[in-house]
Amino acid sequence: MNLDTVIFIVSAVVAVFGATMMIAQRNPVASVLYLILSLVAQAVCYVQLSALFLGAILVVVYAGAIMVLFLFVIMLLNLRGSEDLGQPPKALSRFTKYTIGILMTLELVFIIKGAPLKAMATGLIGKAPDGFGSVEQVARLMFTDYLYPFELTGVLLLIAVVGAVVVAKSRKPGDPEETQTEETAGTNTNEAGS
Amino acid sequence: MEFQLPEINLQLMAPEIFLFLWALAVMAFDVTTKRKSSSTAGNLALVGLAVTGVIMVFTDQGRGFGNMFFNDSMAVFFKVIFLAAAFMAIGSSFGLTHTRILNHRGEYFGLILLSTVGMMFLASSSELISLYIGLELTTIPLFVLAAFFKDDRKSVEAGIKYLVVGAFSSALLLYGLSFIYGLTGTTDIAQIRSILAHSAVAGFNPAYQESTPIMVMAVLAILGGIGFKLALPPFHQWVPDVYEGAPTPITAFLSVGSKAAGLVAFAKIMIMGLYDLYDPSKAPNDWGILVGVMAAAAMIVGNVLAIRQTNIKRMLAYSSIAHAGYVMVGMLALNSLGLASVGYYMFAYLFTNMGAFAIVALIEDRTGSCEIASYAGLSKTSPFLAISMTIFLLSLTGIPPLAGFFGKFYVFAAAIKMAETGSGLTWIYWLVGVGLVTSVFALYYYANVMRTMYFVETDSPLKVTMSPMAVAVIVIGVVGVVVFGLNPQPIVQFASDMPAALGALLP
Repeated sequence: MNLDTVIFIVSAVVAVFGATMMIAQRNPVASVLYLILSLVAQAVCYVQLSALFLGAILVVVYAGAIMVLFLFVIMLLNLRGSEDLGQPPKALSRFTKYTIGILMTLELVFIIKGAPLKAMATGLIGKAPDGFGSVEQVARLMFTDYLYPFELTGVLLLIAVVGAVVVAKSRKPGDPEETQTEETAGTNTNEAGS
Repeated sequence: MEFQLPEINLQLMAPEIFLFLWALAVMAFDVTTKRKSSSTAGNLALVGLAVTGVIMVFTDQGRGFGNMFFNDSMAVFFKVIFLAAAFMAIGSSFGLTHTRILNHRGEYFGLILLSTVGMMFLASSSELISLYIGLELTTIPLFVLAAFFKDDRKSVEAGIKYLVVGAFSSALLLYGLSFIYGLTGTTDIAQIRSILAHSAVAGFNPAYQESTPIMVMAVLAILGGIGFKLALPPFHQWVPDVYEGAPTPITAFLSVGSKAAGLVAFAKIMIMGLYDLYDPSKAPNDWGILVGVMAAAAMIVGNVLAIRQTNIKRMLAYSSIAHAGYVMVGMLALNSLGLASVGYYMFAYLFTNMGAFAIVALIEDRTGSCEIASYAGLSKTSPFLAISMTIFLLSLTGIPPLAGFFGKFYVFAAAIKMAETGSGLTWIYWLVGVGLVTSVFALYYYANVMRTMYFVETDSPLKVTMSPMAVAVIVIGVVGVVVFGLNPQPIVQFASDMPAALGALLP
């Protein structure tokens, strides 16, 4: 077992562990911290695949900027652990949930075990070409071959901004503000409880 | 550093670019003007859609941005459906006196236009990444629109449910697509197909006609993702709640526009890209039978559960699940008639459903009620609404000579023609049988609404004041249903280019 394999196994296990803990937590702050852990581990996997630039971006943008924003939002909303997330789920729903989850996982394991990885398209497995994953290569793809999806993503971001403003904008002055916050909290409870 | 830009051909996407800029203009207009006149933003949006339609007439078919943007006859057909659906949705929002819409008119109409732009991009994409982004462009404005009544619990609930389900289904779809990319090494749909057809690589082995486990997983994930968008069981549970809570014109737009967008995505990924996993002439039709089961379940679940509903929006939600099942029967018929029948069905469904929801929106706005029981005596107070509603419901049931009948007729005819060609395709007869039997259930609950409108006596019948725009939308719906029912030929002709268009994407 060489060093590469060891690094991969460790980072893969950490990534899956982080993702699992993230959804298992009832405290949102802990959830976000586990997500950051998972993202950093994923970045290590990226680097191992020679995608150095993508790995760096993942850490800087996702684990860094976006997750910090998440933390800020959670703190501003003042969500504190289980009391804000409603009752813990009922035994029956928990049973179904875990059974289906375990079955799906077993299925995935069997599928991946049975997959003839060697039979995949030639050129997909093997050593990456020179300069693969460099800033230059990524930029070249983004602004030539994939220019169209890149431009569409710009449109998507604009729509997301408009949508966020519509959803978040407080109502006209004079309207009672309290009903709104009450409702938002109520919906959160429903969502977590269901 | 030298690099080569692909051929861009920007003029091919003139309709999309125009509509996008127009949507921004509508929102900017609403911000910059004083909110006095109530209907200017809506009028602007309607004008924009009409102009886009005119521009589309003058737009050539062809490829742009390398191979990523492809304006073919299938794209044009579905773009017409999207534009018409947006037009009728905006028209039926017009008469609403809801101050909650009126306070954010610009954003409301602008987001409908932006969602339409997303659908148009989706219909033109011939590559997985842009297809996925097109799908997101379609659904993200719809999350916001579903939750547009922020002080209404049900609307907020609808928005959040749709957001969670939408995000989940997108992730599932993306997971499947990433497997396809990993197996074939390309995101171009035509290339995926040729790799699957011509070489014994990747997840599919033509020599043995069997898929490898990874390909099976990819297909399952993609079917799950698209199944959510199309509301095929077992991915249908979100539909009644979202349809009930969302503002009614948005519900209508969801049920027609968003569904048509899901169909385009299905046709592109499954039929165009993964065709060789479901070759009708060979025995184990891998994903065909799976989709067949989902379609049968949709017809049964939708029609049976619709019977029990007392709220007309929920009833129409379940009926839309059933109709998704009927459309998928046509989608499974991979002959020259198959996709054309799907196109005709969606056209008929467009006029029928948009018209029916326009009436529901009007009545909900005036009386605040969506209960079927409150429609009692409608035939006496406003015979126009009662007669139009009857026509729409008869068309949804599939009574000749209305458009809905020919929709079902073509879909089933295409499926039977398909079943006759292959030996391993007897299950398609069963599918058609299920469709015919469940259509009878449908008659029961649609007839219940008609019975309530005409024969139930009540002390306090509805009094509905009309609004000119809503009347116009209802009239468009009635005319569409009747005219295209009596004379389906033009639409069938228009739709019959589509199968060829799917073939044209091949290298």
